[in-house]
Amino acid sequence: VKIDPMEIADFKAELERLHSASFGWALSCCRRDATEAEEVLQTVYLKIFEGKAQFRGESSLKTWLFAVIRKTAATEYRRRLLRSFRLTADTDEVDDRVSPFESQSESFERSEAQTHFQGALKELPRRQREALHLVFYEDLSLREAADVMGVSIGSARQHYERGKKKLRESLTRLEMGYGNNWGRQETPSAV
Amino acid sequence: MEIIGDDKKLRALFSEAKTADAAATPGFTSVWHRAQARSVKPRRAFNLSFALVAALLVLMLGSLAVWSYSTGRVRRYEAAKNKSTPAVVTPAPANNPEKAKTDDEPKVAAAVPETGIATPVHRAVRPRVKRSTAQSAAEMIASNGKTKAEKTTIDSWQSPTAALLTSPADGLFKSLPQLNANESDMKSFLPGRSNDKEK
Repeated sequence: VKIDPMEIADFKAELERLHSASFGWALSCCRRDATEAEEVLQTVYLKIFEGKAQFRGESSLKTWLFAVIRKTAATEYRRRLLRSFRLTADTDEVDDRVSPFESQSESFERSEAQTHFQGALKELPRRQREALHLVFYEDLSLREAADVMGVSIGSARQHYERGKKKLRESLTRLEMGYGNNWGRQETPSAV
Repeated sequence: MEIIGDDKKLRALFSEAKTADAAATPGFTSVWHRAQARSVKPRRAFNLSFALVAALLVLMLGSLAVWSYSTGRVRRYEAAKNKSTPAVVTPAPANNPEKAKTDDEPKVAAAVPETGIATPVHRAVRPRVKRSTAQSAAEMIASNGKTKAEKTTIDSWQSPTAALLTSPADGLFKSLPQLNANESDMKSFLPGRSNDKEK
């Protein structure tokens, strides 16, 4: 079922406005794999275009879009995993594929602190990484982050707090230069 | 959301990552157009293959249904043909103690009219479960029905040892005088006469 072209045009403008943030969130959901993130974003736009994903106004557009991206990324990841199990050729393809963020040239360009930070972020459990990304990267409140993650606000808060603690510990361990400060615990009013 | 303390540093790291990501973000128009292109090609191919598979499936199911129906019909016809052979039924004896039982049991053969002439009847179709419980009684009724036919066969029946009963001296036994024989014939068998003649 395809939705009205006028609605599509309105949606398209909104999606364009949120495109950069959407790509950042897709990157986070795809473990910083830019190619995969782009494919996920394409699939999300396709779902919207075909009316498979419909915004009913129950939350903000950004929250809804991010939830769709998260779900699509999880589905794509499972599909990719199955494909890699089935065909060794596909596995080779996946292995050979070079993500822009994993390539050496770009790694050199990025600051050392940023590289350590991304490494520490990857070590976090998925939920905690998502909670931190949504709050710090996308400027969402914990309530909005909980909506995107499909969990209760209490659960989102727990993921957020635990994620922060683990991230601090990892960064301290990596001796990024922030080590003296990470040990100090403060409880921010996140909501 | 108020961010204080070391959260500011985390935010700074995240915003730095955000800036790097923004530079690498693909253009919205290109992603959108590729999504639209994807929406046409794969779906058409999927629909075509789906239609082919569905048509094949329907064809297979249809042929299977026709085949099973035809074979079932032939079997039913054969079964009906076997059942339609006339059953010889004779009325049960009036003083038959098993007659009381037959009233309660399912009637395998139809009741015989008072004239005593057996009419060909079809066997009633009974459920399999009931049939098993009434099997012995039904066999009994069937044996009653066969009495007449058995009479004819019993008359002409000979035991396997009947040949042993015949002997060369059979004529001697058969030459005994009959009660309604004439006097001269009777005298020939009297022992006194023979003794007199000998004297």
